[in-house]
Amino acid sequence: MSEFAIEATQLVKKFPARPGTGNKQESAPAPKRRQWPFGKREPKAMFTAVNGVDLYIERGEIFGLLGPNGAGKSTTIRMLCTLLEPTSGTARVHGFDIVRQANEVRRSLGTLLAGERSIYWKLTGRENLEYFAALYHIPSAVAKQRVEELIERMELKDRANELVEKYSTGMRQRVAIAKALLARPPILLLDEPTLGLDPQAARRLRELIAELKQEGHTILLTTHYMEEADQLSDRIGIIDTGKVIALGTPEGLKRRIEQKEVIRLEVMGWHDEISDKIKNISGIENLMSRQQGEADLWEVNMQARNSRAALPRIVEHISGNGTRLVNMNIVKPSLEDVFIHLTGKALRD
Amino acid sequence: MNAKSLTTPGFSSDFSALWAVVRREWTIFIRYPSWIIALFIWPVIFPMGYILTARALSGVDGSGLTTFQNTTGLTEYVGYIAVGTMIWMWQNIVLWAVGYSLRNEQMRGTLESNWLSPTWRFAYLLGSSIPQLVSMFMLMLVSGLEYAFLFKVNFSGSLWLTLLVILTAIPSVYGLGFAFASVVITAKEANAFVFLVRGIVMIFCGITYPLAILPDWMQAVSKWLPQTYIIHAVRTAALSTEGFSGVAFDLKMLALFGIFWLAVGYALFNMMERRARQTGAIGQY
Repeated sequence: MSEFAIEATQLVKKFPARPGTGNKQESAPAPKRRQWPFGKREPKAMFTAVNGVDLYIERGEIFGLLGPNGAGKSTTIRMLCTLLEPTSGTARVHGFDIVRQANEVRRSLGTLLAGERSIYWKLTGRENLEYFAALYHIPSAVAKQRVEELIERMELKDRANELVEKYSTGMRQRVAIAKALLARPPILLLDEPTLGLDPQAARRLRELIAELKQEGHTILLTTHYMEEADQLSDRIGIIDTGKVIALGTPEGLKRRIEQKEVIRLEVMGWHDEISDKIKNISGIENLMSRQQGEADLWEVNMQARNSRAALPRIVEHISGNGTRLVNMNIVKPSLEDVFIHLTGKALRD
Repeated sequence: MNAKSLTTPGFSSDFSALWAVVRREWTIFIRYPSWIIALFIWPVIFPMGYILTARALSGVDGSGLTTFQNTTGLTEYVGYIAVGTMIWMWQNIVLWAVGYSLRNEQMRGTLESNWLSPTWRFAYLLGSSIPQLVSMFMLMLVSGLEYAFLFKVNFSGSLWLTLLVILTAIPSVYGLGFAFASVVITAKEANAFVFLVRGIVMIFCGITYPLAILPDWMQAVSKWLPQTYIIHAVRTAALSTEGFSGVAFDLKMLALFGIFWLAVGYALFNMMERRARQTGAIGQY
């Protein structure tokens, strides 16, 4: 058996581009009408969602796939769990080809997609799990016991016989996770598992993911929360516009920009004129500003090769232009800073 | 990882999965109690307009019924209309319930989570149809009782023969439903198709009038529709004493149509499933 739980080589996925959807059309312009009656139709414009992704995920590791919305994370997951066929490239999950051995792949995977919408709201938590246990070909006597184990583990015992429509978002997510764990699959694919959860529920879920790793599961986790990827992952792949642009351990990735420091400011009354002046300071790169709430308070981040030299000039520009510096910090680079360094844009853009 | 996977593939596992789909569908169905109202009200309301129209057109003295009897060989015009409308309702309900079953799953978000399992995918469509078939039998039973007691319809035929006709009709009715379900998944919306099919059945299959009154070209079209044979056979079986010989030809035609439409439904499903894997349609709202 391969040392890798998941191996993907040059995975590509293209979709027909639809006009007006904002998808970039990379090939020829919009298709012309066919020359009546037998003329050749122009090829459809295509949108490339995944553009040559290579992934080699070792058994027993948590691999985080980090990237902004639209980067290609969910499309990659959907190819690996056999919902989508790649346009080109190959992938094997637990040693099985995702196209030619799709059923074997499905038996080896527990997948969490679309969280609370992936279960039936007009069934109880217990009924949902019993139903999916049958779909995963778990013998009924074994399924009953397994369902009870998972209900207990997910702290759903008191509400297991209530309809899922009465559950909170966090509870529904726990049912969805229990569903993914039913058949004791060796590999778990978790697509944005904490999306929409309150901080406490998200924290408990991250603890569970860490436990699952201890139990020997291989986990591929997609997220656009860099703290989550940083906390949980043994290795991270940063994906943007369909390509993996960086790969490594969280610390290793941050060391890429270790020689830079991140200056974080909170400023009242920030405007473009100040931004332009600060960008012109030597050694300052990747300045990003984001308004906080409705008040005229801005969070401004920038990377500097030498913060000591740059700071006096920064303060001078801010003070002289009718703005007020509220707070200032020099911090170690985070994964988001790595992303900004690599792409020139923020993870949340 | 130390623990062994609990998945045990095999025929009995596939059968258990199919049964789980049936149970799921039935459980959800009975948790929306409005079906009870439909069960009792619709069989009465829907044919009522046609029955009253027929009564009006037959004249105060009922003299118009002689023409009806000469054309159809039956005296029971209320039962005649009730059978036709019941078969139309059956096909209509199948188009909506079975035809939209996968689309409803898609909109709910549960279609992907079903598709992620190793279960044979046609089982979802098949499993969704079985509770629908059971509810249709209940509807037919209630309708029969209502027609007999409220409208005083004389079902002088054979109950078992009627049942045989309905069972033989199931493959063609549901095969069309399977074909629809497959088209709807990629088209996302198929109201126009449903209305078209309903309209064709209504006009060409003689649900409330004998085919003999249609022009030749329309009668020719009606021969290509399985619903024509279902309606004729159920009327003969339930309302006349002709017996098996009266429905033998219809049963043969329904068997052929059943094979055809099941094959078409299954083929379209497989095409849809392959296409959905290429386009990602399964996860799209």
